[in-house]
Amino acid sequence: MISPDLKKQFLSIVDPTRWLDQKEQLFCYAYDAFVEESMPDAVIFPETTDEVSQILALASAHKIPVTGRGAGTSVCGAPVPLHHGLVICFSQMDRIIEINTKDRYIIVEPGVVNADVQAALAPYGFFFPPDPGSMNSSTIGGNIAQNAGGPRCLKYGVTLDYILGLEVVLASGKVITFGSKNIKDVTGYKLAALFCGSEGTLGLVTKAILKVVPLPETVKTIMATFKDLDDTAKAVTDIIGSGILPAAMELMDRLTLNAIEDKAGLGLDREAAGTLLIEVDGVAEACDKQIKQITEKLHASHAVNIQEAGSAEDRERLWTARRSAYGVFAKLAPDIISEDVTVPVSRVPEMVRRIVQIADKYKLRVGVLAHAGDGNMHPMIPADKSNAQEWERVLAAFDEIFQAAADLDGTLSGEHGIGLAKSKYLPLVMNQDTIDFMKTIKQAVDPDGILNPGKFV
Amino acid sequence: MTDQPIQNCGKCGLCLSVCPVYQVLKQEQASPRARLQLIKAFEKKDLSASPLLKDLVSRCLMCGACKVACPSGINHYAKFMEMRRKMAKSQPDPPAIRSLVYLLAKEYRLRMGAGLARIGRRLTPGALEKKYKIGTIPVSRFPEMNRRSFRSTLPRVAFAKDSPGGHCRDNPRGRVVYFTGCATNFLFADTGQATVNILTRLGYEVVIPDGQTCCGIPMMFHGARDQAVENMAVNLTAIQEAMRENSGNTTENAKDAAAENCDAMDKACDEAAKHCDAVIVDCTTCGAALKDEYPALMNTLDPSRNKALAHQIALAQKTTPGMPDTIAAKTRDILSFLHDHMDDLAAAMKPTTPKHKVIYHAPCHSKNSFNSLAKVLDLLKALPCFDYIPVPDEAACCGGGGTFFYEYPDISRKMMAKKLISARAAGADFWLTDCPVCRINLHGSLSEKDNLTVVHPVTLISKGLGS
Ligand SMILES: Cc1cc2nc3c(=O)[nH]c(=O)nc-3n(C[C@H](O)[C@H](O)[C@H](O)COP(=O)(O)OP(=O)(O)OC[C@H]3O[C@@H](n4cnc5c(N)ncnc54)[C@H](O)[C@@H]3O)c2cc1C
Repeated sequence: MISPDLKKQFLSIVDPTRWLDQKEQLFCYAYDAFVEESMPDAVIFPETTDEVSQILALASAHKIPVTGRGAGTSVCGAPVPLHHGLVICFSQMDRIIEINTKDRYIIVEPGVVNADVQAALAPYGFFFPPDPGSMNSSTIGGNIAQNAGGPRCLKYGVTLDYILGLEVVLASGKVITFGSKNIKDVTGYKLAALFCGSEGTLGLVTKAILKVVPLPETVKTIMATFKDLDDTAKAVTDIIGSGILPAAMELMDRLTLNAIEDKAGLGLDREAAGTLLIEVDGVAEACDKQIKQITEKLHASHAVNIQEAGSAEDRERLWTARRSAYGVFAKLAPDIISEDVTVPVSRVPEMVRRIVQIADKYKLRVGVLAHAGDGNMHPMIPADKSNAQEWERVLAAFDEIFQAAADLDGTLSGEHGIGLAKSKYLPLVMNQDTIDFMKTIKQAVDPDGILNPGKFV
Repeated sequence: MTDQPIQNCGKCGLCLSVCPVYQVLKQEQASPRARLQLIKAFEKKDLSASPLLKDLVSRCLMCGACKVACPSGINHYAKFMEMRRKMAKSQPDPPAIRSLVYLLAKEYRLRMGAGLARIGRRLTPGALEKKYKIGTIPVSRFPEMNRRSFRSTLPRVAFAKDSPGGHCRDNPRGRVVYFTGCATNFLFADTGQATVNILTRLGYEVVIPDGQTCCGIPMMFHGARDQAVENMAVNLTAIQEAMRENSGNTTENAKDAAAENCDAMDKACDEAAKHCDAVIVDCTTCGAALKDEYPALMNTLDPSRNKALAHQIALAQKTTPGMPDTIAAKTRDILSFLHDHMDDLAAAMKPTTPKHKVIYHAPCHSKNSFNSLAKVLDLLKALPCFDYIPVPDEAACCGGGGTFFYEYPDISRKMMAKKLISARAAGADFWLTDCPVCRINLHGSLSEKDNLTVVHPVTLISKGLGS
């Protein structure tokens, strides 16, 4: 609880339009895109690093739990304030501070939306590669805290690979900065790796220097359909295994594709058991050559139909449809759990088979969607949480799916993070000493445990 | 029409990126996702009606962008409208809004109100006019009322003029019903005159329904569903009769049929509809009422679409059960309709037609209910009367939103601010838009120094054709 006196002190830091504590308002900060919810006691919207620092110092002094929030698009409950307290929402701290494509960086505040970064860079012929499906809403702060990925991370890498430097406010209110505007920098620990993916449990990011790269000269997108899901998955392994590296390679099974087609009406093949959406980019000649190689491999894997997107608009329509996949699934049942298990790409066919078997065993519908080229699977199960018996089956199925991933040398999450959703599974992929090591770091940085408590550390 | 229960909102947050209000406020409680969660909490009785809840749900332009973008197929629009209705009693609107709804509910009140407004306007000293604002708009920048209501200046049927393809009064290309809406009738007669001129010049016979009244959207948005139902019934009847007039079928025949049974009545109505090529609107908000909201409203009156029950309701309201659907299917916004005739229009304009430098503002219902943006841009590029200058945020909301600019002037002003910058930079002579509220809002936000006239695109098309 936040006492009236403490509230007054917070209100000496920000003006009252940036402070919410009415029940109706708090309801709106209890959720992200995951199923669990928990209400904060208050929400505060800082606009400067200095304000964030003062807020954290005050929260620390009173041991008030603090949970950062960007756009609340996390799918693992990461920004849900499990222990209530204060939500610091960065959505209004959203200035682009500097664009410098000559030195290949952009400096932004944490509340800038990913798509706005792309839009700001496009006129310079540059882009920021991480492209989570949520890119039109999700913030850079959230992307960093979750080490977000996306389709084209297959070729380009994930958010961490693009952080040159950060400004972070620690629980104490101290402001630290590390990294620089330099593409190469080995001065001290690579602290970006510590904070990126920490889900707001170690500190709050208030500024980021991000590496940007030139837009490719040519982009080509093809779509291949298969009669058999197993063939689809094998095609992925085949292509990547032979040394071809497309920019993106997305797999969709029939349930997913039909859900998308219901919304988008693109004329996708509803009968296909599996579909691959593949994008290559680079200089025109190289793209043509890659497309040719990929097409050969696809034929060898019994693709029934291979089509190239004719225009930039067609391509955009396909990707918009792909990005809607999570949302269209929500139509199928009152609740949806989308997981994020990841396996080495050679194990993709086996993992897909196991997911389907496990869902069958528990009599559940499952949609298999994957950033397949990097082995990142998104099995999605639509179900009804209020049906206790069904929900139990859902949880049991996911237990087995995580176990299966671990058995195949995989991991719990490729990009969505741990949050509330998967902390109990950590021991599947980490020994106790490793978990304790994370706790040691947390203890050192946030001794009172006020930052996003109740999550994976 | 997809309409999922709110539980099916996956909370993915995609709507945040398309909501003009969220884009300005950047606080979750101002997002469509949050409004759905609040409604859900209200339905589960976790929250009760309160001034704050009412405010959070009403802080919305009802533009429908979230509904179009939603991958889960949620009809936010209907949810918000229903929620507004549920709270209307315990959390009434401010008096000014209630008076507006009262005024719009009956045609005669509007006529009287318009007359009074003209007198009031004449009696108000200029200095006061400049000083006082309604919402974001200085009183002096509000449009003058039409001297006479537009419909009273026209015959009920405007006959086809001689036109390419050999069409003429006795051999029209087709017949359309023109639902004028209140704005054209009382404020913007120029839009109405242009619409009729273009349609008749294309060889259409235009019937203007007698007795039509406000489409009812303002009542629906402010929770006054019962009034909206009354207006719907009046309009459906009026349009239906206008359609029959077209078919040469007399109203009496259909009334006889009505007395017999509802199937016969539906049949008579379908028969009449066959002779009507389109129900034309010049305002896409009225259009959204005819195309989407009337059938939906009929459904809420009769969730199962039980025919017998529907028949009862219908008889009481002098419309047939199938009527909303029949009319909905025929409803076209004028610009999309003209897009079908683009070549004829271009051919009918002289190459010497003066070219006007224009920019465009896309109203929310044109984008979200009629999906007409691409077509309008086609027209602006193709017709010789336009020298079209694209501006980057032509499809961004202006913040008008019915009464939104009055209720939330600060948010509205911010939405408009960006648009004004690019509009002024474009160097155009005309700012075109096909929504009367956007027109009031755009004009009201410009100042006398801006040499930018806001009109409906039909005005310039009509000029290009000559009368
Ligand atoms: C439809 C859909 C598609 C998605 N697709 C992808 C995808 O392809 N790839 C992917 O990786 N993810 C994806 N996600 C998950 C999610 O969008 C990402 O994790 C995103 O990075 C979250 O950003 P956000 O701004 O919404 O952060 P939030 O959800 O608000 O917060 C996420 C975490 O970041 C912390 N946080 C927020 N701001 C800060 C800050 N300034 N400093 C420190 N911590 C902070 C929060 O405390 C929380 O722990 C998807 C989600 C949806 C709904």
